[in-house]
Amino acid sequence: MKNMLKYRFVFLALVGVFLCSGSNSVYAQNAKKHSVRMKAYYTKIMDSVSFFKVTAFSRIDKENVDISNIELTFYNELDGEKIKLGTATTDMHGECKFVLKNLNEIKPDSTNTYNIDILFKGNDTYKKASKSVSFKDASITAKIITKDSTNYVSATLKDIATDSVLSDRLLNVQVQRLFRSLPIGKEFNSTDENGTVVATIPDGIPGVNRNLTFEVVLKDSDDYGTVMALVNAPLGTPIKDESTFDERTMWSPRDKTPLFLLIFPNLLTFGIWGIIIYLIINLFKISKSKI
Amino acid sequence: MEVSKKLVNDLAPQKFGKKGVIWTTFLVIVSIVGIIAYIDQVRKGQIVTNMNDYALWGIYISNFVFFVATSFVGAVTVAVLRLTKNTWRTPVVRIAEIISVAAIIMAGLTIMIDMGRPDRLMNLFIHGRMQSPIIWDVIIIPTYIAICLLLLYFPLLPDLAILKKHFSKINPKLSKWYGRLSLNWTGNARQTKIQLNSIQIIAILTIPAGFMLQTIDAWLFATLFRVGWDSTNMGGYFITGAAVAGIGALVAVVYVVRKAYKLENYITEFHFDKLGKFLALACLLYLYFNINEYLIPEFTSKKEEVTHMNLLITGQFAPLFWFVQVGGLIVPIVALFFKKGRKPLPMFFIGLLVVVGSWWKRFLIVTPTLLHPFLPVQGVPESWHHYFPSVHEWLITIATLAMALLIITALVRYLPVIPIKRTADEQELFETEKKSKS
Repeated sequence: MKNMLKYRFVFLALVGVFLCSGSNSVYAQNAKKHSVRMKAYYTKIMDSVSFFKVTAFSRIDKENVDISNIELTFYNELDGEKIKLGTATTDMHGECKFVLKNLNEIKPDSTNTYNIDILFKGNDTYKKASKSVSFKDASITAKIITKDSTNYVSATLKDIATDSVLSDRLLNVQVQRLFRSLPIGKEFNSTDENGTVVATIPDGIPGVNRNLTFEVVLKDSDDYGTVMALVNAPLGTPIKDESTFDERTMWSPRDKTPLFLLIFPNLLTFGIWGIIIYLIINLFKISKSKI
Repeated sequence: MEVSKKLVNDLAPQKFGKKGVIWTTFLVIVSIVGIIAYIDQVRKGQIVTNMNDYALWGIYISNFVFFVATSFVGAVTVAVLRLTKNTWRTPVVRIAEIISVAAIIMAGLTIMIDMGRPDRLMNLFIHGRMQSPIIWDVIIIPTYIAICLLLLYFPLLPDLAILKKHFSKINPKLSKWYGRLSLNWTGNARQTKIQLNSIQIIAILTIPAGFMLQTIDAWLFATLFRVGWDSTNMGGYFITGAAVAGIGALVAVVYVVRKAYKLENYITEFHFDKLGKFLALACLLYLYFNINEYLIPEFTSKKEEVTHMNLLITGQFAPLFWFVQVGGLIVPIVALFFKKGRKPLPMFFIGLLVVVGSWWKRFLIVTPTLLHPFLPVQGVPESWHHYFPSVHEWLITIATLAMALLIITALVRYLPVIPIKRTADEQELFETEKKSKS
């Protein structure tokens, strides 16, 4: 009887522990949620895709914390109506990229402005949040011109909706390199009354098979976002590709082992093991040669 | 030919006395302590060792190199002496074969102990690159284990058949085991022909395999561009060093077995004299390679080499360095020049000195070089410039040495340490020659 009483106490204690541990999760429901901040940038690459790059973070304990793995929904706002474009999920750095294959997928308002709303529904930890991005469509036409044996990058910036050139805008002219693009031309290349900049291409820029890729960029414009045009030209100083990536070298992965290292060690290994197997067979022969 | 009963009684394995039981128990306890330490190392990771970013190879690799070196005794003693038809080898070859088996098995285990993630052992085979000498080592060690086992087993067959008969009444269970292991050996012409042919093949195979093993071990270091390792001398240096370690171990074990089994009539002073001369030759050769290894860097005085040499000659490793050179090499050479130095008891101490010297020599090959990397990390802790093994490392290493001795002890307990059949044949030949002369 006394034992049974003991068991009851144990049972009640276990129930108590269970309920107490449950109350934590109840408490979690009421925990203070953090607000989400978002930064969004629109980028258009001429003759290619357009995309939105969004960074989500939160201010927690006086520090900016990247918010990973949250789903953001992208809407095209038109006359008070929201048309869903799709979703993207943030990575471990709180970043995500939403690609528009064609700008015709979205519609501008009466002022030829595209309005995009980015919404986060909220979850157990973070409050719901939204961010709006507005931009107009612009284009950059870039080409290489040669005058008096000097090569130039010439680029013209236009507002597509009004089909008018945009003057007095800063364009970055640069050539793509391995880690970061190399600026060329003047320190500040401002478009003239024809919406054009001309930047001199210096001699001696190395390029694999002489190929260079030039970029003309309207960067982070309040009206147009980032617009970039790329143009390739064989104007570089040829460099010899000394990579041994496709060769069989001592530092290659195992599928590119030098042949002599495949042949001789394997010959030795299989040769010795062949003899060892022969000797083991001899043991069987001895065992069978009783008489 | 009928083997005399006295000979079988003398050479058949005997039950251990009190000392033997104490010795075996001691080895088992040390091994268990080491296994416990190793389990702890696997659980906690190599944080329990004193290895660090500089000393990334420590006592385990030194110990591994020592075992690999010691296993060379099979190639040197059995194969070389056999192929050069040195008949005095008979009473010592079996012990050499046993040491080889024990040492190479423990070398294989020791390298696994050094691995931070032993569960990923198979990745060495799956993802290994032939360009890496480590993979050559991974291939040669199992190969050499197989060769050593065959080198021990083939000559044993007639003796196992003799032991089967000998123990049939005294210990039928043991006799049954000997019977199974003897592979129905009757000594008929066909069996003898196959056996002798196989032994000849193994004797020839063991020498290049042994040389490959030692050379690969040497190239593990020599291919690393590090001061103290980056030397074309390394292959020969390791082979002669292995001969010294192996013969030293052989001398010490032969002395103990002779004493424990009372084999003074079979392993005589003549054999110790021969082994002494053999050891002296190996030591002289090794001394020559040592002079090459240390004198040239000292003479050319490249900056990094001078730092390394100072560390050895006058620096923190100086006591160990001089002990190894003088105690482990010069003293044995001088002692072995004298006939009295080649008597059993002095030889035993010389053998022990050589083995201890050889073990520390491997520590000196591995550690000082690591403490002075080519690209020193900025602002490293002072402790990184020093390395002394942790308690875990010592316990595990001592356990591996105990396990090697345990394998030797177990094989000595159950196998005839002197080939019975061969001794009988030689005795018969001797008697025949004696009769024909008279």
